Amino acid sequence: MEANVNPLAVILVYFDSKGDRLLYRYPYQTLGQTEVASEEQRKSRKRNPFAVAHMDDLLQAPTQVQGQLQGFADEVLLALFAVKPQLCNQKFELKLNDVRFVSHPTLIPYKEQRAGAVANPSSTTAAAKKQEMLINIVFALHAQASYSIVKCYHELSKRLGLALKFEEQRCGYLTEQMAQMARTYDEQQQQPLERTLELIAERCSLAQALRSIFHDLCTTGLLSTSLNDNLTLCFCLPAKAHQLHKKGSTVDPETIDRCLRALKPYHGMLLLVDFAELLDCVPPTGARMLWQLVDSYNPLISLQSMASNADLSIEHVYKLVSHLVYWAKATIIYPLCETNVYVIAPDAPLHTKSHLVEKFSARFAGMSLFEVISDFSLPTSIGHLTTPLQQPARQGILAQMVIWMLQHHLLMQLHTYVQFMPSEDEFGDSASCSNQLRGAASDDEDADEDEREHDPGGSMLSMSSQPLPVPTVSIGGHRRDVSEDQSSVASDNIVVQPSSSHKSNFSITASMSTDNCDSLDSMEDEQKLKELLHVFGEADRAAIRRIPASANVDDLSLLVKLYQMGYFKSEHHLEEIMYFENLRRSQLLQLLDKFRDVLIIYETEDPAIASMYNTK
Amino acid sequence: MHTHTNDTAAISNGHGLVGGNSVGTSAGGSVGAGGGRGGVGAGGSTEGKIRCIFLSEFDATAGCKISCQVPDNYISKDVFDAINVYIIPKQHLQRCILTVNAMDVKIVGYPVGIQDQQKYVRNAFLFNLCFVCDSRARSVQYEPVVKKLSEYLIMMEEESCFLSREDDKRRLQNIFETVLRDLNERKVATIVEGDNTIHLKIVMHKPDPPPVKDHMVPLLLANLRDAPLDNWDLTTQQILPYINGINHVARIAAEADVETDLVKSCIQNLVYYGVVQLLPILKYSNVYMTQNLKHLIQSSALSGACRKYVALRPDKTLPSVQRIFQFYASMTHGVTLRAICQRLSPHQNNIDERRMVIFGLQHRFIRCIHKYPVFTGSVPSGRQKMYTGLISFDEICCKTGLSPSTIERDIEKDTNVTVIWK
Repeated sequence: MEANVNPLAVILVYFDSKGDRLLYRYPYQTLGQTEVASEEQRKSRKRNPFAVAHMDDLLQAPTQVQGQLQGFADEVLLALFAVKPQLCNQKFELKLNDVRFVSHPTLIPYKEQRAGAVANPSSTTAAAKKQEMLINIVFALHAQASYSIVKCYHELSKRLGLALKFEEQRCGYLTEQMAQMARTYDEQQQQPLERTLELIAERCSLAQALRSIFHDLCTTGLLSTSLNDNLTLCFCLPAKAHQLHKKGSTVDPETIDRCLRALKPYHGMLLLVDFAELLDCVPPTGARMLWQLVDSYNPLISLQSMASNADLSIEHVYKLVSHLVYWAKATIIYPLCETNVYVIAPDAPLHTKSHLVEKFSARFAGMSLFEVISDFSLPTSIGHLTTPLQQPARQGILAQMVIWMLQHHLLMQLHTYVQFMPSEDEFGDSASCSNQLRGAASDDEDADEDEREHDPGGSMLSMSSQPLPVPTVSIGGHRRDVSEDQSSVASDNIVVQPSSSHKSNFSITASMSTDNCDSLDSMEDEQKLKELLHVFGEADRAAIRRIPASANVDDLSLLVKLYQMGYFKSEHHLEEIMYFENLRRSQLLQLLDKFRDVLIIYETEDPAIASMYNTK
Repeated sequence: MHTHTNDTAAISNGHGLVGGNSVGTSAGGSVGAGGGRGGVGAGGSTEGKIRCIFLSEFDATAGCKISCQVPDNYISKDVFDAINVYIIPKQHLQRCILTVNAMDVKIVGYPVGIQDQQKYVRNAFLFNLCFVCDSRARSVQYEPVVKKLSEYLIMMEEESCFLSREDDKRRLQNIFETVLRDLNERKVATIVEGDNTIHLKIVMHKPDPPPVKDHMVPLLLANLRDAPLDNWDLTTQQILPYINGINHVARIAAEADVETDLVKSCIQNLVYYGVVQLLPILKYSNVYMTQNLKHLIQSSALSGACRKYVALRPDKTLPSVQRIFQFYASMTHGVTLRAICQRLSPHQNNIDERRMVIFGLQHRFIRCIHKYPVFTGSVPSGRQKMYTGLISFDEICCKTGLSPSTIERDIEKDTNVTVIWK
């Protein structure tokens, strides 16, 4: 898998009215370095008994023996990549046996020789004879390279083409480089091809650039190359770059995009590299804003606070963070705090031979990674692991260790999610049965509901669970009972009876406690409660009314508000609710506890962040 | 002629580790069905259908042209002119699978040249049989088919000038129509043309399944339970009755009286074809963790299927979604299945907790949290050598043949061993 990411070769083809030419390719066949790497690769292929079978079955005779591009003469390649003008300025992909070539052929108009060309390009180019050359920078890849990897290489070829077009327009760079390469070929006709290519690399800066691009792609997947000492080209191959931090993982751009689309202001950022390493992912001109952000960087605060500290808009911060994440320089976390709950990540590379063990004890003198991390076998927060009696320094060290483990993807945060789901304890099993039956035999019930909805006064009365001091309401309460009886008959459920009596018991006590209150006030409260309860469906309403806290207007209104905002659909974790609704944790936890009979609360990972882990 | 029929078996058995034709037509169909679940690894590309089949040849006077195309005019003249270099390429590239992806079409071809000074005007007949897909679609699976069909065409051309005789295009058109229809619908096509019978089959190219280990539990996926047994090879037929989602590999080997390595190969083969899924062994001391549980609520089809599947007694009222959700939601780190069962008494709610766990694992609402003993001392001895952090507790039990409680005590006593759950 890992080997599929690396390019096999880079080829530069040039084509104009005078003819076509393969000007440069790298690597040249006799290069010691690749031989070593490919030897390793071949061994790994042999180890896997399946791979051999596949090669024979599906991929015919391998043309890339020892990881190199072989079996293709330069003339053949030239004929393939000097594409027709119709195919230019779009993606071009060609697969030959088990080698895949990808490129973006670019048409580049020659730089006008006259001085006025730059000042007034439109008129002069129209007047001059239109002359264009075609430049095709082709990457040869393993055929098994996935779609997203191919897409990345296409993007790189496209950008290189654009950069060369710009440089050609600016100072005729391309024309000059092409001429020099062609001249070298003509001079060196007697020499072996490798020697010529080497000479070209010595003489031409474009060849040097291509060579360094190839090397960077093979080693880090991050490249920052300057063309003609003027234009800096930054590019990242995420599938490769993310392996530096997490071996064996393949993070494709789609996964990163999914993670970044879910970015919220309350998220935080965790840098994976030193500050010094950050700059190579941006062209010098774009560095100012990044520094502004990095100055206020702190894994303990949210992106929102970072934005305000750095005096940047949150959109800018999102863009910068997205860029850093794409470039494997940072990862998204929830800001570190005492209440965050962590567990060991399912794909954490924890074993006795892991290099992380030594790295950890080097970073935190005398500490054993396994001992520290085994505390996180159960979901644990930093707050849990420290006591107020300990020295504050201990907590600081622990936080440092958690950060380190997060940076190495060893830990994963768990969040608490809430699902609204009346558990129907009193009804037991038959509740589901009643639910089912309701679908079939609920005509009369529906009519009942309709009637209530059309007539607000009636609905108010029939809804009241608590008898009011006003005599008419007792009738309403009675009506309510009757209607419930009806529904219980309809649902063939006899267990309802005691529960409804229990409820009326409760409502009597409630009414007694509010007896002394101003009747008008309680009337208003009642009305408010009823309106609030209206949000829920019939079955849910009954379940909520069984909960004592539903008599409290404040509690109920908060519940209804959160319910209406869709926070109880397993989509939002507590921290998110707290952030967007401006609630304190204790407030929210109290509410959830009060209504625990209709809410199911459970712990799981944030799907946005978890997509960056390989959950099995 | 006979050799070609054998060739079919070889192609249809692209992954055959067990030998024999382990996969019949029913399994071939199921691969497509299971593709949606497992096809995530493709990274944005899709399993596309064949959009068009055409034959291109080099005409002595007109040059490159499409001589037969189904459906007609799918590849327009403009597109063909732009890419014909890759359809009828130079001699070096003949008899190579050549795929070109440009102008929004992906064309898989196998360019061929037949040299014959008597028969042909330019001493050679150049042609290429091509399959066309959408530019985003995967096309690897069509390569062997294109090659094989081309080889037949070469043979027929050499024997009877099937392609170069002008009046024969009608018959070729019919062949293409059949191939296009049958391969797209059934992934298998059989064509009878004169004396030749051509068998074609699309074999999906999938990544290798991970090696099967002793402690893993294979689970047959529901849609294959009823497939006739005799489509499978003999070993698979022998072990298939013991695959029930509860027995682990070592036990299946013992009960079916088949060598363990053979069982592993068979099961790996079944996993490759998406017929079997591997689950961790079910123990009441296991710990599970939820993930993406919301899908259970959001998809009513899934929750309906779940209610049916987990019911202890299907004749009684099915367990409610609420109950099931509550059950899953209580699974988290540090809570064993036993504790959950004691708390929620699934049997009273007509829930079979074992089927519940299987359903959850199968649909990835839950994952098993494995236990890994790690030796932290300096020099490991005896069983300590296994405590590397790579071998899970289940695997250690299976390898040593000791009971979990023995190993547990062993680890407890040893101060040099730390346990990690992940």
